[in-house]
Amino acid sequence: MSAANDDLGEQIVQLLPRLRRFARSLANRVQDADDLVQLAVERALSRSSQLRPEAQLSSWMFGILRNAWIDESRARGRRTRLFVSEELGENIADPAADRQADALSVQEAMARLPVEQREVIGLVLVEGLSYKEAAEIIGAPIGTITSRLARGRDSLQALLGNGRGASA
Amino acid sequence: MTFTDEVLMAYADGELDTATRQQVQDAIDRDPEIARRVASHRALRDSLRSSFDAVLSEPLPDRLLSAARAVARDPAESRVVPLRRNTAPVRAWPKWAALAASFVLGAVALQFGTSLRESASITERNGQMLASGALQEALSNQLTGPRATQTPVQIGVSFLSKSGHYCRTFQLQEATSLGGLACNEAGSWKLEVLARGEASAIQNPQYRPAGSQLPPAVIQAVNDNIAGDPLDAKSEALARAQKWHHTQ
Repeated sequence: MSAANDDLGEQIVQLLPRLRRFARSLANRVQDADDLVQLAVERALSRSSQLRPEAQLSSWMFGILRNAWIDESRARGRRTRLFVSEELGENIADPAADRQADALSVQEAMARLPVEQREVIGLVLVEGLSYKEAAEIIGAPIGTITSRLARGRDSLQALLGNGRGASA
Repeated sequence: MTFTDEVLMAYADGELDTATRQQVQDAIDRDPEIARRVASHRALRDSLRSSFDAVLSEPLPDRLLSAARAVARDPAESRVVPLRRNTAPVRAWPKWAALAASFVLGAVALQFGTSLRESASITERNGQMLASGALQEALSNQLTGPRATQTPVQIGVSFLSKSGHYCRTFQLQEATSLGGLACNEAGSWKLEVLARGEASAIQNPQYRPAGSQLPPAVIQAVNDNIAGDPLDAKSEALARAQKWHHTQ
């Protein structure tokens, strides 16, 4: 048990860069994103028995992180926020984003997407998961994933000023 | 042949079956407008990817490394949610511990799932975590000892604290190994500590309930707070009759 958990801990360490990247696509602020990663890591280790042997650790972890973020998003407005609000977060200078004006605008644009579009974009376009994997993590049919992805892309194109990609 | 934007998007994402992919490929060769739309999907994908890829080369924060490593070594200790700064161990939650107590309810809900909140076992009043619902009921009325399995709350031990309040440990049945310590002050059960984890060896505790599954942080809190010995059955019944109000 303890040896298995140690091993899991090391595997999670290997995944940390990707978990942080995914979290950053959900929560704009570095601090908030890392809070989510920390929460996900702790939840994962406390639920290691729920990890099915055939399941991919990365998908499982993305799912836990995503659910932690959804919990937080839903709880907003019902109680005092645990994390700094998005609006505040956008106004706080982020040293990592200063390097690239282009990157900042992409991240700002992401932060303006509705929750359900942002998570699909994060999983599919940022993390490179398949539609099927994203559908399993989010717990929605592939058709739903596809249409959220299409709407999210449209919004991003508009926000980034790259012209409207849509004209079906 | 026309394609919906979703099909072109799926093409750009490599999600189409071979036949459809070939059709789109043919259309791209014929129709510059379709080629432009596919290119725009690809450009957005590349742009997102390159914006967020910078995260991969950032140094990993220590707190995340230790979350993965330290928690794996000792799962019980690091999932303690401190409810009072002066009595509860801080350990892995320095940031949350520094927040006002009103934040803690949210932290608890995040930490232990929504079951606590939904069963309304814990509420918050003036920045203090209080037992409510089934938990309050059990703390006020249930005497120590093994209960029928249907009982949602198991009471572990009752004692008088150094500050002259009656305190009781409890475990929630619905969430195995979730336990805590509550003390009665002015008629309310204030939560001193709430933790999840299996019993583990604390060196020579002054008091350890027999066969206890209480998380170490709770046992620690009992040992820190207890004045004298735990209440025996008679004193416990008397305390209950006095509504857990200790009179000197």
